[in-house]
Formats: sequence, structure tokens, C-alpha cells
Amino acid sequence: MLMPKKVKYRKQQRGRMAGKAWRGSSVAFGEYGLKAMVCGWITDRQIEAARIAMTRFIKRGGKVWIRLFPDKPITKKPAETRMGKGKGAPEQWVAVVRPGKILFEMEGVAPDVAEQAMRLAAHKLPLKTKFVSRLHAE
Amino acid sequence: MRKDVTVGAEPRVLRGKNEARRLRVKGMIPAVLYGAYKDSQAIGVSPKEVNGILHSKSGHNTIFNLAVAGGETTPAMVVDTQYDPVSSRLLHADFKRIDLEKRIRVSVPVATTGEAKGIKLQGGLLEVVTREVDIECLPDEIPEHFVLDVTELMIGQSVRASHIALSGSMKLLSPPEAVVAHLVVLRAEAVAEPAPAAEGVAPAEPAEPEVIKKGKKEEEGAAEPAPEKKKK
Repeated sequence: MLMPKKVKYRKQQRGRMAGKAWRGSSVAFGEYGLKAMVCGWITDRQIEAARIAMTRFIKRGGKVWIRLFPDKPITKKPAETRMGKGKGAPEQWVAVVRPGKILFEMEGVAPDVAEQAMRLAAHKLPLKTKFVSRLHAE
Repeated sequence: MRKDVTVGAEPRVLRGKNEARRLRVKGMIPAVLYGAYKDSQAIGVSPKEVNGILHSKSGHNTIFNLAVAGGETTPAMVVDTQYDPVSSRLLHADFKRIDLEKRIRVSVPVATTGEAKGIKLQGGLLEVVTREVDIECLPDEIPEHFVLDVTELMIGQSVRASHIALSGSMKLLSPPEAVVAHLVVLRAEAVAEPAPAAEGVAPAEPAEPEVIKKGKKEEEGAAEPAPEKKKK
């Protein structure tokens, strides 16, 4: 799974997800992309599941770019633990996604194959997404 | 490329985000006109007309006539645009006055044609690295796009900006050695390079990343003398 190699602090506060993704909102590397239409957290497992769904569908046909990285640690207290006694241990990593963010990009495949692959990937994500191409990305 | 199209514009007197929002509600967008050693002017234009120009064959390199109500009519081109990240609506546009007798710098799209030999023979993947090249030419000479033939490419070979055939007074401004497209070895798991390493370490329970401690120690060391001074 994707996670940072080094961090400055082990735990983070939850934070806010206000506003739109004014950066990383256009298709920059490939020909097609998957755009988030709402905000949310995407976990490392969900990114990996979406990537596998995409690459399995396109087989040996194209190139995929992952435009998000899970750099936010999420902690969880163990089961049947009383409240207090400090913050729980880091359990997973998430990427904070704002509306408009391009999540994945693809190149080297036909438009219908790219759309179907992105649709399969979108099923692994907890967000509403939209398939975009370079022409209509802006 | 010059087109015989006239886009109407209205001068904007009031400024600020509130006025810009009111303008967008009316069906117009705020824009600015500058260049040719004249003062810049805030204007309002119809986004439909601007989108029509941007989605034409010559795209953002189209030179059209911009007619400001009660003011000048000048040849202009779109040099910058702002879009809403979610709805992809046009929010703002920058127009530049064009002197038709002076050379200008433009970015021209580069397209590839043909199927590279290495795709079928070696199973490679054509990766387009550069999609636009910068050139300098007269406004009337701006091409719609350049076309590069990639049929002879094998794995490890590339076509570069210097392979583009320039005509007339065009001068290439992008580095001539810049790779436009190359044929790469296709790896199904190319994207997953960092993942197997992480999975190999701990598939069930993810290992925690290293916490940077050096910075902390230095800060603590620097912070320690300060309270002593206070005590004194």
C-alpha cells in the first residue's frame, strides 16, 4: 500500500475539506482522467483496489498515473477500550480529496476502454466521480 | 491563425469579486485586454463566444477581432483562461492585442501520426511527452498544429522537437532536443513500483513510517538555553 517513507509527526488532527481543488484539477500527463466531484478521504487500500481494477481491465495496453497520495494518518482506538488514555494508534493512511481533483490518468488505450476501466476504478472509491478527457478537462 | 470573427465586449467599470459574480450571473464573464504597449482594459465578454474560439481547430492560437463597445476594435488572441475545477465553466479570460506585423511567441500543438513499428513487433507503448512546442512567427503564419510521423519508431527511439518541419519565418523556441514522443517498454505493473516494496514489508499490518527526529533534537537543544535566561 502507498504510505509516506518519513513523517514529522505520527498522528494528525482530522482537518477540514473546504473549497475546491484549484490545483491538480486538469489532465496533465495522460489522455483521460477520473475527476472527483465531491470531497472525501480515499484510503491507501481503496487507491490500490482502484489501480488493480484499472490495470487488470486494460491488461497490457496503456499507462496509468496515480495523481493522489495518502499522506494523512488516521488513528483508531482498539475495540472494547474505555474513552480517554490518549489518542489511538495509526491504523491507515488517507488522501484528502477536494471536488475537482484528478485522481487517476490513463494513456495508450481507446477512449471506450479508458472509460470502462475508469468506471471499474470508480466503483472502488467512496466518492462521486466523472470520466474526463484532455479535450474536456478544462 | 487569423479568423474573420468579431467578439463583442463591454467595458467594465466596477471591479471586485462581487461585481465579477454579478457579471457571471448575467451570462457574461470578466476578462482583461492588454498588450501592444497600450493600457490594459477590464472588459466583459460572452463565454459562449470565447469557448467557440477555444474549441475551434486553431484553438487558443486563433486571432480574432475584439470589439469593445464605445472603444477600440483590435485583433486579439486568448492568452490565458481560468476554469471552475468542478463544473469546467469558463470563469475568466485574458486577451492580448496583436500587432499583425510583429513576430509573436505561441504554443502550437504537436500531433503524432501512424502506428509505431515497435508497438506490434516489440510490444511497446507510445508515450507522448510534449504536447505543445513554442515557436516564434508572424501572426498570419501560426499553424493549427504540427504533425510528426512515428511509424518508424522502435523501443528506445524517440521523435524530438528538432524533427518538426518549420515553414516560412517560423523559429523554434522550445529546446530542439526536447522529446515529443518515445516508445517505451510496457510494464503492466509499472505504476505499482512503490506498492510491492510496502506490501513485502508488512502485508497485514502496515509498518509505520520513520518519524523525523533530528529536527526535534535541534529544536530542543536550541530551546533549552532560552528558559535559563528567563530564570536569570
